Amino acid sequence: MKNRTKLPNIYLGVMIALMYLPIVLVIVYSFNESKISSVWDGFSLRWYKELFRDSSMFEALMNSIFLAFVSSFLAAIIGTFGAVGMAKVEYKSKGIVEYVSQLPMMIPEIVLGMVFLTYFSLLNLPFGMLTLIIAHTAFCIPYVYMQVKARLVGLSPSYVEAAKDLGASELRAFFDITLPLVLPAILSGMLLSFAMSFDDVIISVFVTGVDVNTLPIKVYSQIKTGVTPKINALCTLMFIATVLVLIISNFVGKKGKVDNNEK
Amino acid sequence: MKKILALALAICMIACMFTGCAKKKETLTIYTWEGMFPQEVLDAFTEETGIEINYAVFDTDETMLAKLQAAKGGDYDLVIADDYIIETAIAEGLVQKLDKKKIENFGNINSVYQGQFYDPADEYTVPYGAGVQTIVYNPENVNIDITGYADLWDPSLEDSVGIISNYRVINGMALKVMGESYNIEDTAKIAEAGKKLQELAPNIRLIKDDNLQDDLLSGEINAAVMYTSQVTMAMLENPNLKVVFPKEGIGFGIMAGFIPSKAPNADAAHKFLDYLLQPEVAAQCFEWLGYYCTTAPADELIHEEFRGFLTLPAEFKAEDMEMIGNVSADALAAHDLAFTEFKSLCE
Amino acid sequence: MKKDKKPDMNRSYKWFVLPIYAFTFFFVLGPLIYMLILSFLMRDEVWGVTSTFTFKNYLDIFEPVYLSTFVESLKLALISTVLVAVIGYLFGYFMAKLSAKWKKIMMMLIMIPFWTSSLIRLYGWIIIFRANGTLDTILMSLGLTAEPLKLLYTYPAVVVGMIYALVPFMILSVYSSVEKMDWSLVEAARDLGASSMKAFWTVTFKLTLPGLLTGIILTFVPSMGLFFIADILGGNKVVLVGNLIQEQLMKVHNWPFAAALSVALLLIMTVMIFVYRKITKSKDLEATL
Repeated sequence: MKNRTKLPNIYLGVMIALMYLPIVLVIVYSFNESKISSVWDGFSLRWYKELFRDSSMFEALMNSIFLAFVSSFLAAIIGTFGAVGMAKVEYKSKGIVEYVSQLPMMIPEIVLGMVFLTYFSLLNLPFGMLTLIIAHTAFCIPYVYMQVKARLVGLSPSYVEAAKDLGASELRAFFDITLPLVLPAILSGMLLSFAMSFDDVIISVFVTGVDVNTLPIKVYSQIKTGVTPKINALCTLMFIATVLVLIISNFVGKKGKVDNNEK
Repeated sequence: MKKILALALAICMIACMFTGCAKKKETLTIYTWEGMFPQEVLDAFTEETGIEINYAVFDTDETMLAKLQAAKGGDYDLVIADDYIIETAIAEGLVQKLDKKKIENFGNINSVYQGQFYDPADEYTVPYGAGVQTIVYNPENVNIDITGYADLWDPSLEDSVGIISNYRVINGMALKVMGESYNIEDTAKIAEAGKKLQELAPNIRLIKDDNLQDDLLSGEINAAVMYTSQVTMAMLENPNLKVVFPKEGIGFGIMAGFIPSKAPNADAAHKFLDYLLQPEVAAQCFEWLGYYCTTAPADELIHEEFRGFLTLPAEFKAEDMEMIGNVSADALAAHDLAFTEFKSLCE
Repeated sequence: MKKDKKPDMNRSYKWFVLPIYAFTFFFVLGPLIYMLILSFLMRDEVWGVTSTFTFKNYLDIFEPVYLSTFVESLKLALISTVLVAVIGYLFGYFMAKLSAKWKKIMMMLIMIPFWTSSLIRLYGWIIIFRANGTLDTILMSLGLTAEPLKLLYTYPAVVVGMIYALVPFMILSVYSSVEKMDWSLVEAARDLGASSMKAFWTVTFKLTLPGLLTGIILTFVPSMGLFFIADILGGNKVVLVGNLIQEQLMKVHNWPFAAALSVALLLIMTVMIFVYRKITKSKDLEATL
């Protein structure tokens, strides 16, 4: 019997280890003296020094964080209201709008980038952060929408009905009843959106403007001249920063916050 | 709802601030690949002239042209890209003629790289680096003496050759073995080259553009056709590797800078081009970049360690070399079909 | 869902759907129509398109070598999706059974890798797989293999890369549906004498199906279009529709053909999702598209 309870934990542990193995190697190789990843020339901080001399890398990193944050936030608003509203309204156009809104996920990024470029220049929108946000929001919405919609299935509508019978407006019922119930889904949708946006290069490179570089654009445009371990160094720093932020926010968040994951 | 609208508005405003925070200082917007210049060179330019450099990057030539077209030739002051795309950009009317009076060092350009197909009268461009198509192999693991492309077909190289994924270069190897030009228009001949290429498939271990030198150094592959900057990196790491200029003929490509037709600050772009052509600056750049030096007086300033890879061998004559230019849509379609078939056989 | 159409209901929820209607209309439908139009145009000699109407782009898809890339892509997408579903479902299921504290930690552990560039993580796999790399060193020192395996730039390497990139989507989807599940139903089934296996299939699995199906869509759809994994870990030898489209746009400059390929890809995915929905006949699938 004991075996049975341990097996799942072993499985989880092994999977997590596999997930982290490549990252550990990236971190190790960020300390490699050699420019070439297949040769180990000894420990060195050379790439960290080069990284810190290159302020544009950090600027790009800030742009990426800002972009990912804004677009996943907008996607969360549009996607959540959309999913909740779509479940209620009875418009004929509902099915088709729903389908079309999910399409950016199905179109290869490169084509999406190309058509966005042409479309935005047709609309005379200035290329830059604004166009980046619009494009990223477009491909982030489906992630939030699908997560929220899956969560809504099976949630009993009776709470909302009860609230409304007691005189609450739809908006009030939404914020008091529906929102807390679907919050985990919104969060996981937002996390996925954030990750997708943070990592996107192909669409970004088409819709960005003159003075906005995102981090992935910086990484991919090195391919012509060779990707240097500077990027490994940056990834290592980002990794450490993420872990720190999560740990800190976990400590801070413990105080006074109701955990919505719990029943 | 109002709150959300207000929030959205606020976000838009922040976004606009981000994009619109126009810098008051004079700026020069350079549009090219990441990592084309050592940071010191850029910093020194700013120090010398007071012009701030805004470095915008693209991943491929095609992205650059699409973006430049969307900007109608504006937004960017100086673009550095590959030869063939420059020809197209000029044809699309997106490039302005250089004012050579503003480029005192124009005479420093190595004449081998001038008068090429993309800019026959040298009116629009200043070359910045050239690549020569070479084969590199590790003699420790290769039993034959590789002297040309044809040797790559040798059965002893089974599953041990790496190539870049530029389909014109790769199809070009087969064309060269057949004794044809890179820029042939005859689709039947291209299809024939495709057939020839299919026989190479069993030897191909990988096709990729980025960091191919790593695979050669790690022993994943024993012979490779790769970009010049990669050859430089590989040779610096392992001097025992052999570089072969294929006996079938030398193909080469040039990267060059041009000023878009409606560049906001063409003046600064001229200044920067002039600056790049100074021998000392050029030497510093090419040591960093690892491509062939296109500024003649810089050749002797390049550090000895690099000079062998960065300057043209004396026996090279311009007339033995051929550049890959633009061909018709039909020829391109034939090239693509041949290359796709080849790749699907490489399993 | 209520069947009676109270007029006031539409009116107030109208504001809920307005943003998604507006956004979809302006920023999704517009570009899509442009893509559709593009797919019927003729390419220009070197760059751009002409305004001639043609079906040629769609006919070109039937060139055997292009057709076979569709088959290859479907094959790889199906293999990856099935493996991701199995691995991710188990993970999500076990994770939902952990204590609250560990759930949180697990959630973080899954999300952290997302915050580093995917390209760089793939480079990590290259270090593992390459000749005399991490995996070879481990296997050889254990005496399991005598010489380097040459795993890099092979089909299995691509599959591993796909799973690695996509499994978090499955985990999160499954987790959120297992987590909201009412465990008393499982206990009820057990009390009625069902074996734990039977209880799982009849209760748990059925109740978590929406999450699983969301995960499958989130895995299957991107895996048709991903090309850089096949490029980086497969040495570009596995030609997928994504690679083909990329090449048509960026190397051959044939935008209309790329657009036509994308439309075909969209149609195939729509049909597959539709058929899938019909086969499983699950009402829960409403949740997925």
